[in-house]
Amino acid sequence: MAIEIRNVEKTFGAFTALGGVSLDVRSGELLALLGPSGSGKTTLLRIIAGLDHADAGEVSFDGQDTRDRAARDRKVGFVFQHYALFRHMTVFDNVAFGLRVKKKAERPAEMDIRRRVGQLLEMVQLSHLASRYPSQLSGGQRQRVALARALAIEPKVLLLDEPFGALDAKVRKDLRKWLRHLHDDMHITSIFVTHDQEEALELADRVVVMNHGQIIQVGTPAEVYDTPADSFVFDFLGGVNRLNGVIEGGVARLDGKAVRVDGEVGPNGPAVIYVRPHQVELDVAPGDGVPEGKWSARVSSLHAAGPVARLELDLAGRALEAQLSRDRLSDLALDVGSWCTVDFRHARVFPAKN
Amino acid sequence: MTAVASGATVRPAKRGWSFLAPTILPGFGTAFGFTLAYLCLIVLIPLGHMALRAADVGWDRFWAITLAPRVLHAFYVSFGCALAAALINAVFGLVVAWVLVRYRFPGRRLIDAMVDLPFALPTSVAGIALTAIYAPNGWIGALAKAAGFKIAFTPIGIVIALVFVGLPFIVRTVEPVLQDLDAEVEEAAASLGATRWQTFIKVLLPAILPALITGVALAFARGVGEYGSVIFIAGNIPAVSEIVPLLIVARLEQYDYAGATVIATAMMGVSFLMLLGINFLQRWTRSRHAR
Repeated sequence: MAIEIRNVEKTFGAFTALGGVSLDVRSGELLALLGPSGSGKTTLLRIIAGLDHADAGEVSFDGQDTRDRAARDRKVGFVFQHYALFRHMTVFDNVAFGLRVKKKAERPAEMDIRRRVGQLLEMVQLSHLASRYPSQLSGGQRQRVALARALAIEPKVLLLDEPFGALDAKVRKDLRKWLRHLHDDMHITSIFVTHDQEEALELADRVVVMNHGQIIQVGTPAEVYDTPADSFVFDFLGGVNRLNGVIEGGVARLDGKAVRVDGEVGPNGPAVIYVRPHQVELDVAPGDGVPEGKWSARVSSLHAAGPVARLELDLAGRALEAQLSRDRLSDLALDVGSWCTVDFRHARVFPAKN
Repeated sequence: MTAVASGATVRPAKRGWSFLAPTILPGFGTAFGFTLAYLCLIVLIPLGHMALRAADVGWDRFWAITLAPRVLHAFYVSFGCALAAALINAVFGLVVAWVLVRYRFPGRRLIDAMVDLPFALPTSVAGIALTAIYAPNGWIGALAKAAGFKIAFTPIGIVIALVFVGLPFIVRTVEPVLQDLDAEVEEAAASLGATRWQTFIKVLLPAILPALITGVALAFARGVGEYGSVIFIAGNIPAVSEIVPLLIVARLEQYDYAGATVIATAMMGVSFLMLLGINFLQRWTRSRHAR
């Protein structure tokens, strides 16, 4: 099911949670709402589910306005951050809940309910725990029960609020992969909220970056990562070097030397040059001075665990992080204290704030 | 060699029956001693002594006194009215607690304070106030009279008095549990298609039930023992609106100490059995709740 969101606004007292947000969610896609806390992403999710009401604007499902449809009539599966399982019910009864509360005319026979719940529990790999209570399960298992419970009503849309937020790193990674496979099998339009950029980039078909109740950028993970709309997105997606420079006559300069940048260059004045660590190119320092158009830096520390080496460099008093393969590192024979030349493969420049 | 080896193996600590489960808290002996001494002094010895005195009269007289129609009826009134009042409070006390927890409205604190009034008020004050309203010449009593029935001086009046004194027990036991309920659980039920009523019955009530039963038990126990507020509104007509505590006082006033003790002992026995039953019910709901 496709979802259209038009100019949705929501305020809580003096706080603007959503300031006129519009978004089209395509049928069958897995969409991530990514942003820092307070950016309005959870509020947007709750409005889609009908758990909160927009002050203005509209949300429609397949072209039908949802304003007068209560949460229980929307056929939306919602997975809460803290699972919100029914503590006094077994895992089985939790999953069966949505089927058992249906109107008599629509309610499946008890036999069918048992079969359906059995299938769902098998799908989330919890068949053996059907008669346990939520308090007897681990966090990851509870999360899967919550998911099975939401899927039991055969929702048209699946909404997940920080689905992996309360889990430890290893479980989170496994569940992420598993959810992606599940989505590929079922093709339910799914939206999940997260503040973890890695999670959003790895899992989603498209990523919506939000900040201060506004949508800043919408795009595929690659688009958002490679061509961030502004400095906030660049920053938020993480792992970035910020170098203070200037813009002079349409050219970004760092220590007087021109930096090749992608995208447009802003007006003259102080500017911040953004470079991701893996776009920093290092080379062996030649004996006679710094080559034209390159910079010189000294290695201040070196972490070489895993396939990728991380280097902290000192570029004329600025800290610069670089990443390169272990092989490249051994070719360069760099060590703490050694000098090298620095170049940037890709960089972006944005006018400095204030 | 083997003897040395076997001698060197570490034997697990003796794990027989022990009176006290292992704990790091010190002072068990002292605290337990105090507890026992207090219980004995204040509860066990007086009650035991009473039971002994009652036993003095012999089985035949014991049963004769207890099973006399007037006494039986008083038992029926006492326990019946206390149970009815506790059950009425279970519904309305829950509503009051719900309103106090879930809604923010002007005067909420005032109502909150009012709930505790029955705790603090001397029960005779409550009795006089209720009688004034519910007697056939009082405001509400007059209405009831016009409709053709009486409230004061009947078991209905007793129930009203017991509802009054029992209300805070329900409200105060249910309130914290309601407060702890996660709003997300209700939202989850709604998003799964449950109506408000289904959410209440299937999700909220099971969560509240153990606390509600505790409240009912407290209100019931209080109702059974209540004296001050009831004697005014009850009218104390034998075999109609006479409660057991009043009957005991009446016997004492007639210097029938043996009769008073026998009735008191019987009352104690019945109360104890009922509270025991409620405790088991509580255990059962809690185990189902499986925290």
